[in-house]
Amino acid sequence: MMQRTSDKKWFDELVMELRMRQVHGSAIGDTIASARELLSDTGQDAEEAFGSARDYAAALDLPSAPRNDWIKKALWPSLLALLAFLVFNLAVVSWTRSEVLLVSPAQLALLATPVLLIALLPLYLEAVIRRIWVCVGISAICALAGLFSAFAAPTDRVDAWLALQPLPWLIGSTLAMVALSILNTIRSSRSRDDERITDPLSTAGKGNGPGAQVMIHVTNWLFPLLAAATLGLALVLR
Amino acid sequence: MNVPSVDSQTQESVDWPSDWLRATLGLLALRALAAGPSYGYAIISDLERNGFGTIKGGTLYPLLTRYESAGLLTTEWRAGDAGPGRKYFALTERGRAELARLSADWLRFTETSTRYLDHQRLTKETPA
Repeated sequence: MMQRTSDKKWFDELVMELRMRQVHGSAIGDTIASARELLSDTGQDAEEAFGSARDYAAALDLPSAPRNDWIKKALWPSLLALLAFLVFNLAVVSWTRSEVLLVSPAQLALLATPVLLIALLPLYLEAVIRRIWVCVGISAICALAGLFSAFAAPTDRVDAWLALQPLPWLIGSTLAMVALSILNTIRSSRSRDDERITDPLSTAGKGNGPGAQVMIHVTNWLFPLLAAATLGLALVLR
Repeated sequence: MNVPSVDSQTQESVDWPSDWLRATLGLLALRALAAGPSYGYAIISDLERNGFGTIKGGTLYPLLTRYESAGLLTTEWRAGDAGPGRKYFALTERGRAELARLSADWLRFTETSTRYLDHQRLTKETPA
Protein backbone atom coordinates (compact mmCIF):
# COMPACT_ATOMS: atom_id res chain seq x y z
CA MET A 1 0.00 0.00 0.00
CA MET A 2 1.29 3.44 -0.91
CA GLN A 3 1.48 5.66 2.15
CA ARG A 4 0.40 9.31 1.96
CA THR A 5 3.00 11.88 3.03
CA SER A 6 0.69 13.15 5.79
CA ASP A 7 0.18 9.57 6.99
CA LYS A 8 3.93 8.93 7.05
CA LYS A 9 4.38 12.00 9.28
CA TRP A 10 1.51 10.79 11.51
CA PHE A 11 3.06 7.31 11.85
CA ASP A 12 6.49 8.84 12.61
CA GLU A 13 4.89 10.95 15.34
CA LEU A 14 3.03 7.92 16.69
CA VAL A 15 6.27 5.91 16.96
CA MET A 16 7.96 8.86 18.72
CA GLU A 17 5.06 9.27 21.16
CA LEU A 18 5.02 5.54 21.96
CA ARG A 19 8.83 5.52 22.36
CA MET A 20 8.53 8.44 24.78
CA ARG A 21 6.06 6.35 26.75
CA GLN A 22 8.64 3.51 26.89
CA VAL A 23 6.30 1.13 25.03
CA HIS A 24 7.97 -2.14 23.94
CA GLY A 25 8.92 -2.47 20.26
CA SER A 26 6.58 -5.42 19.66
CA ALA A 27 3.58 -3.41 20.94
CA ILE A 28 4.57 -0.46 18.72
CA GLY A 29 4.75 -2.80 15.69
CA ASP A 30 1.31 -4.20 16.53
CA THR A 31 -0.18 -0.70 16.89
CA ILE A 32 1.25 0.45 13.55
CA ALA A 33 0.07 -2.68 11.71
CA SER A 34 -3.49 -2.47 13.07
CA ALA A 35 -3.71 1.25 12.21
CA ARG A 36 -2.49 0.53 8.65
CA GLU A 37 -5.03 -2.29 8.36
CA LEU A 38 -7.94 0.05 9.20
CA LEU A 39 -6.68 2.84 6.91
CA SER A 40 -6.41 0.31 4.08
CA ASP A 41 -10.01 -0.81 4.72
CA THR A 42 -11.58 2.64 5.10
CA GLY A 43 -9.39 4.75 2.79
CA GLN A 44 -9.29 7.43 5.50
CA ASP A 45 -6.34 9.65 6.45
CA ALA A 46 -4.59 8.60 9.65
CA GLU A 47 -5.47 11.89 11.37
CA GLU A 48 -9.12 11.55 10.31
CA ALA A 49 -9.42 7.96 11.58
CA PHE A 50 -7.38 8.17 14.78
CA GLY A 51 -7.09 11.86 15.70
CA SER A 52 -3.68 13.29 16.60
CA ALA A 53 -0.84 10.79 17.08
CA ARG A 54 -0.18 12.21 20.55
CA ASP A 55 -3.79 11.74 21.73
CA TYR A 56 -4.03 8.28 20.16
CA ALA A 57 -0.82 7.12 21.86
CA ALA A 58 -2.18 8.41 25.18
CA ALA A 59 -5.59 6.77 24.65
CA LEU A 60 -4.05 3.36 23.88
CA ASP A 61 -2.30 3.36 27.27
CA LEU A 62 -0.11 0.40 26.22
CA PRO A 63 2.00 -1.54 28.73
CA SER A 64 5.41 0.07 29.06
CA ALA A 65 8.71 -0.12 30.88
CA PRO A 66 8.86 1.85 34.15
CA ARG A 67 8.66 5.58 33.36
CA ASN A 68 12.09 6.47 34.74
CA ASP A 69 13.88 3.29 33.67
CA TRP A 70 15.86 5.18 31.00
CA ILE A 71 17.38 7.49 33.67
CA LYS A 72 19.09 4.51 35.31
CA LYS A 73 19.93 2.74 32.05
CA ALA A 74 20.93 5.65 29.79
CA LEU A 75 21.18 8.99 31.55
CA TRP A 76 23.47 8.16 34.48
CA PRO A 77 26.03 6.20 32.39
CA SER A 78 26.05 9.04 29.80
CA LEU A 79 26.49 11.63 32.51
CA LEU A 80 29.40 9.75 34.12
CA ALA A 81 31.00 9.23 30.69
CA LEU A 82 30.70 12.97 29.93
CA LEU A 83 32.25 13.80 33.30
CA ALA A 84 35.14 11.38 32.63
CA PHE A 85 35.61 12.89 29.14
CA LEU A 86 35.78 16.43 30.55
CA VAL A 87 38.37 15.36 33.14
CA PHE A 88 40.34 13.60 30.39
CA ASN A 89 40.32 16.78 28.29
CA LEU A 90 41.56 18.83 31.24
CA ALA A 91 44.39 16.40 31.95
CA VAL A 92 45.52 15.45 28.45
CA VAL A 93 47.04 18.80 27.41
CA SER A 94 49.00 19.16 30.68
CA TRP A 95 50.22 15.58 30.40
CA THR A 96 51.45 15.90 26.79
CA ARG A 97 53.31 19.10 27.79
CA SER A 98 54.67 17.47 30.98
CA GLU A 99 53.06 20.24 33.03
CA VAL A 100 51.05 20.30 36.24
CA LEU A 101 47.27 20.36 35.75
CA LEU A 102 46.03 23.79 36.88
CA VAL A 103 42.33 24.35 37.56
CA SER A 104 40.47 27.59 38.39
CA PRO A 105 36.98 27.86 39.99
CA ALA A 106 35.58 29.63 36.89
CA GLN A 107 36.86 26.82 34.69
CA LEU A 108 35.24 24.18 36.91
CA ALA A 109 31.95 26.08 36.94
CA LEU A 110 31.94 26.29 33.13
CA LEU A 111 32.76 22.57 32.79
CA ALA A 112 30.02 21.70 35.28
CA THR A 113 27.41 23.49 33.11
CA PRO A 114 26.90 20.70 30.52
CA VAL A 115 27.00 18.07 33.28
CA LEU A 116 24.28 19.93 35.17
CA LEU A 117 22.16 20.45 32.04
CA ILE A 118 22.27 16.72 31.24
CA ALA A 119 21.58 15.77 34.88
CA LEU A 120 18.41 17.89 34.75
CA LEU A 121 17.33 16.45 31.38
CA PRO A 122 14.40 14.42 32.83
CA LEU A 123 12.78 17.74 33.80
CA TYR A 124 12.72 19.09 30.25
CA LEU A 125 13.18 16.07 27.96
CA GLU A 126 9.71 16.45 26.37
CA ALA A 127 10.49 20.08 25.47
CA VAL A 128 13.81 19.02 23.86
CA ILE A 129 12.07 16.38 21.73
CA ARG A 130 9.01 18.44 20.77
CA ARG A 131 10.73 21.83 20.17
CA ILE A 132 13.89 21.88 18.08
CA TRP A 133 14.88 25.37 19.34
CA VAL A 134 15.13 24.05 22.92
CA CYS A 135 17.49 21.31 21.70
CA VAL A 136 19.57 23.82 19.70
CA GLY A 137 19.67 26.23 22.68
CA ILE A 138 20.85 23.55 25.13
CA SER A 139 23.51 22.33 22.68
CA ALA A 140 24.73 25.93 22.12
CA ILE A 141 25.01 26.54 25.88
CA CYS A 142 27.05 23.33 26.31
CA ALA A 143 29.34 24.23 23.39
CA LEU A 144 29.88 27.81 24.63
CA ALA A 145 30.57 26.58 28.19
CA GLY A 146 33.23 24.22 26.82
CA LEU A 147 34.75 26.99 24.70
CA PHE A 148 34.87 29.55 27.52
CA SER A 149 36.34 26.97 29.92
CA ALA A 150 39.43 26.88 27.68
CA PHE A 151 39.83 30.67 28.07
CA ALA A 152 39.27 30.39 31.82
CA ALA A 153 42.13 27.88 32.20
CA PRO A 154 44.84 29.38 34.47
CA THR A 155 48.31 29.77 32.98
CA ASP A 156 50.06 30.45 36.26
CA ARG A 157 50.10 28.36 39.42
CA VAL A 158 49.26 31.54 41.43
CA ASP A 159 45.88 31.89 39.60
CA ALA A 160 45.05 28.22 40.01
CA TRP A 161 42.70 26.84 42.64
CA LEU A 162 44.03 23.32 42.24
CA ALA A 163 47.41 22.05 41.01
CA LEU A 164 47.35 18.32 40.23
CA GLN A 165 49.48 15.65 38.59
CA PRO A 166 47.67 14.94 35.29
CA LEU A 167 48.62 11.25 34.76
CA PRO A 168 46.42 9.67 37.49
CA TRP A 169 43.44 11.73 36.27
CA LEU A 170 44.18 10.76 32.67
CA ILE A 171 44.34 7.03 33.51
CA GLY A 172 41.31 7.19 35.83
CA SER A 173 39.10 9.01 33.33
CA THR A 174 40.18 6.67 30.50
CA LEU A 175 39.33 3.57 32.56
CA ALA A 176 35.96 5.09 33.51
CA MET A 177 35.08 5.86 29.86
CA VAL A 178 36.08 2.37 28.65
CA ALA A 179 34.21 0.65 31.52
CA LEU A 180 31.04 2.65 30.81
CA SER A 181 31.27 1.90 27.08
CA ILE A 182 31.56 -1.84 27.79
CA LEU A 183 28.56 -1.57 30.13
CA ASN A 184 26.51 0.28 27.48
CA THR A 185 27.45 -2.29 24.81
CA ILE A 186 26.30 -5.17 27.04
CA ARG A 187 23.07 -3.34 27.93
CA SER A 188 22.21 -2.39 24.34
CA SER A 189 22.75 -5.98 23.13
CA ARG A 190 20.43 -7.26 25.88
CA SER A 191 17.69 -4.68 25.36
CA ARG A 192 17.71 -4.85 21.55
CA ASP A 193 14.81 -7.32 21.38
CA ASP A 194 12.60 -5.12 23.58
CA GLU A 195 13.31 -1.99 21.57
CA ARG A 196 13.05 -3.44 18.06
CA ILE A 197 9.80 -2.59 16.26
CA THR A 198 8.52 -5.91 14.95
CA ASP A 199 5.86 -6.59 12.34
CA PRO A 200 3.30 -8.90 14.00
CA LEU A 201 3.03 -10.97 10.80
CA SER A 202 6.75 -11.63 10.45
CA THR A 203 9.58 -12.51 12.77
CA ALA A 204 11.90 -9.93 11.20
CA GLY A 205 12.53 -6.75 13.10
CA LYS A 206 12.67 -3.26 11.63
CA GLY A 207 15.10 -0.44 12.27
CA ASN A 208 18.24 -2.32 13.38
CA GLY A 209 19.92 -3.03 10.05
CA PRO A 210 23.73 -3.02 9.66
CA GLY A 211 23.80 0.82 9.57
CA ALA A 212 21.77 1.07 12.77
CA GLN A 213 24.04 -1.54 14.45
CA VAL A 214 27.13 0.53 13.59
CA MET A 215 25.43 3.68 14.93
CA ILE A 216 24.62 1.92 18.22
CA HIS A 217 28.26 0.85 18.65
CA VAL A 218 29.59 4.31 17.70
CA THR A 219 27.21 5.88 20.27
CA ASN A 220 28.29 3.40 22.95
CA TRP A 221 31.98 4.13 22.30
CA LEU A 222 31.58 7.85 21.47
CA PHE A 223 33.54 9.25 24.42
CA PRO A 224 36.55 6.87 24.16
CA LEU A 225 36.68 7.62 20.41
CA LEU A 226 36.56 11.38 21.03
CA ALA A 227 39.17 11.01 23.78
CA ALA A 228 41.49 9.11 21.41
CA ALA A 229 41.07 11.89 18.82
CA THR A 230 41.79 14.55 21.46
CA LEU A 231 44.91 12.67 22.60
CA GLY A 232 46.14 12.41 19.01
CA LEU A 233 45.53 16.12 18.42
CA ALA A 234 47.29 17.08 21.68
CA LEU A 235 50.32 14.93 20.77
CA VAL A 236 50.51 16.48 17.30
CA LEU A 237 50.19 20.07 18.57
CA ARG A 238 52.50 19.90 21.58
CA MET B 1 -14.78 -12.58 6.62
CA ASN B 2 -16.92 -10.58 4.19
CA VAL B 3 -18.26 -7.27 5.38
CA PRO B 4 -21.77 -6.61 3.97
CA SER B 5 -22.16 -3.17 2.48
CA VAL B 6 -23.32 -0.64 5.02
CA ASP B 7 -25.88 1.05 2.74
CA SER B 8 -27.87 -2.10 2.05
CA GLN B 9 -28.64 -2.83 5.69
CA THR B 10 -28.34 0.45 7.52
CA GLN B 11 -30.99 0.87 10.18
CA GLU B 12 -32.30 4.27 11.19
CA SER B 13 -29.08 6.08 11.98
CA VAL B 14 -29.15 8.96 14.40
CA ASP B 15 -26.45 11.25 15.74
CA TRP B 16 -26.65 9.87 19.24
CA PRO B 17 -25.30 12.06 22.03
CA SER B 18 -21.60 11.30 22.29
CA ASP B 19 -21.95 10.62 26.04
CA TRP B 20 -24.39 7.80 25.33
CA LEU B 21 -22.07 6.18 22.81
CA ARG B 22 -19.09 6.60 25.08
CA ALA B 23 -20.96 4.84 27.87
CA THR B 24 -22.24 1.94 25.76
CA LEU B 25 -19.52 1.39 23.15
CA GLY B 26 -17.72 -1.19 25.31
CA LEU B 27 -20.84 -3.33 25.60
CA LEU B 28 -21.62 -2.88 21.89
CA ALA B 29 -18.08 -3.86 20.85
CA LEU B 30 -18.29 -7.02 22.97
CA ARG B 31 -21.67 -7.79 21.35
CA ALA B 32 -20.15 -7.32 17.88
CA LEU B 33 -17.72 -10.12 18.74
CA ALA B 34 -20.34 -12.48 20.16
CA ALA B 35 -20.80 -14.28 16.82
CA GLY B 36 -17.08 -14.99 16.46
CA PRO B 37 -13.68 -13.39 15.93
CA SER B 38 -13.71 -10.16 13.95
CA TYR B 39 -11.43 -7.26 12.98
CA GLY B 40 -11.54 -3.48 13.35
CA TYR B 41 -13.30 -2.48 10.13
CA ALA B 42 -15.84 -5.31 10.40
CA ILE B 43 -16.73 -4.22 13.96
CA ILE B 44 -17.11 -0.58 12.85
CA SER B 45 -19.27 -1.64 9.88
CA ASP B 46 -21.44 -3.85 12.07
CA LEU B 47 -22.10 -1.01 14.51
CA GLU B 48 -22.82 1.41 11.64
CA ARG B 49 -25.20 -1.06 10.00
CA ASN B 50 -27.10 -1.36 13.24
CA GLY B 51 -27.68 2.36 13.59
CA PHE B 52 -24.91 3.53 15.91
CA GLY B 53 -23.22 5.80 13.38
CA THR B 54 -19.57 5.62 12.28
CA ILE B 55 -17.23 4.82 15.14
CA LYS B 56 -13.68 6.07 14.57
CA GLY B 57 -10.64 3.85 14.88
CA GLY B 58 -9.24 6.28 17.44
CA THR B 59 -12.22 5.46 19.67
CA LEU B 60 -12.56 1.72 19.02
CA TYR B 61 -8.95 0.50 19.17
CA PRO B 62 -8.06 1.97 22.59
CA LEU B 63 -11.20 0.30 23.96
CA LEU B 64 -10.30 -3.07 22.42
CA THR B 65 -6.72 -2.70 23.72
CA ARG B 66 -8.04 -2.09 27.25
CA TYR B 67 -10.30 -5.14 26.99
CA GLU B 68 -7.39 -7.24 25.78
CA SER B 69 -5.32 -6.10 28.79
CA ALA B 70 -8.27 -6.94 31.07
CA GLY B 71 -8.45 -10.48 29.63
CA LEU B 72 -11.86 -10.00 27.96
CA LEU B 73 -10.41 -10.42 24.46
CA THR B 74 -7.62 -12.28 22.74
CA THR B 75 -6.03 -11.19 19.48
CA GLU B 76 -4.56 -13.04 16.55
CA TRP B 77 -2.90 -11.75 13.39
CA ARG B 78 -3.90 -13.49 10.19
CA ALA B 79 -2.20 -12.87 6.87
CA GLY B 80 -4.39 -11.05 4.31
CA ASP B 81 -4.98 -12.38 0.79
CA ALA B 82 -4.04 -9.13 -0.94
CA GLY B 83 -3.80 -6.18 1.47
CA PRO B 84 -2.16 -6.08 4.88
CA GLY B 85 -2.74 -8.75 7.51
CA ARG B 86 -5.71 -8.52 9.82
CA LYS B 87 -5.80 -8.42 13.58
CA TYR B 88 -8.72 -10.53 14.75
CA PHE B 89 -10.27 -9.95 18.16
CA ALA B 90 -12.11 -12.79 19.91
CA LEU B 91 -14.06 -12.98 23.17
CA THR B 92 -12.55 -15.03 25.96
CA GLU B 93 -14.75 -16.92 28.44
CA ARG B 94 -14.34 -13.98 30.75
CA GLY B 95 -15.37 -11.63 27.92
CA ARG B 96 -18.53 -13.68 27.27
CA ALA B 97 -19.40 -13.59 30.97
CA GLU B 98 -18.84 -9.82 31.01
CA LEU B 99 -21.04 -9.41 27.91
CA ALA B 100 -23.83 -11.42 29.56
CA ARG B 101 -23.56 -9.42 32.79
CA LEU B 102 -23.47 -6.03 31.05
CA SER B 103 -26.35 -6.97 28.70
CA ALA B 104 -28.56 -7.99 31.65
CA ASP B 105 -27.63 -4.82 33.56
CA TRP B 106 -28.32 -2.69 30.47
CA LEU B 107 -31.77 -4.24 29.95
CA ARG B 108 -32.67 -3.57 33.59
CA PHE B 109 -31.40 0.00 33.26
CA THR B 110 -33.34 0.73 30.06
CA GLU B 111 -36.53 -0.79 31.55
CA THR B 112 -36.17 1.37 34.62
CA SER B 113 -35.46 4.45 32.51
CA THR B 114 -38.40 3.75 30.17
CA ARG B 115 -40.75 3.26 33.10
CA TYR B 116 -39.58 6.50 34.65
CA LEU B 117 -39.94 8.39 31.38
CA ASP B 118 -43.36 6.91 30.68
CA HIS B 119 -45.52 9.65 29.17
CA GLN B 120 -48.78 8.81 30.99
CA ARG B 121 -47.04 8.63 34.33
CA LEU B 122 -45.37 11.95 33.56
CA THR B 123 -48.76 13.59 32.79
CA LYS B 124 -50.36 12.24 36.00
CA GLU B 125 -47.55 13.58 38.17
CA THR B 126 -47.44 17.03 36.55
CA PRO B 127 -48.99 19.58 38.95
CA ALA B 128 -52.06 21.38 37.60
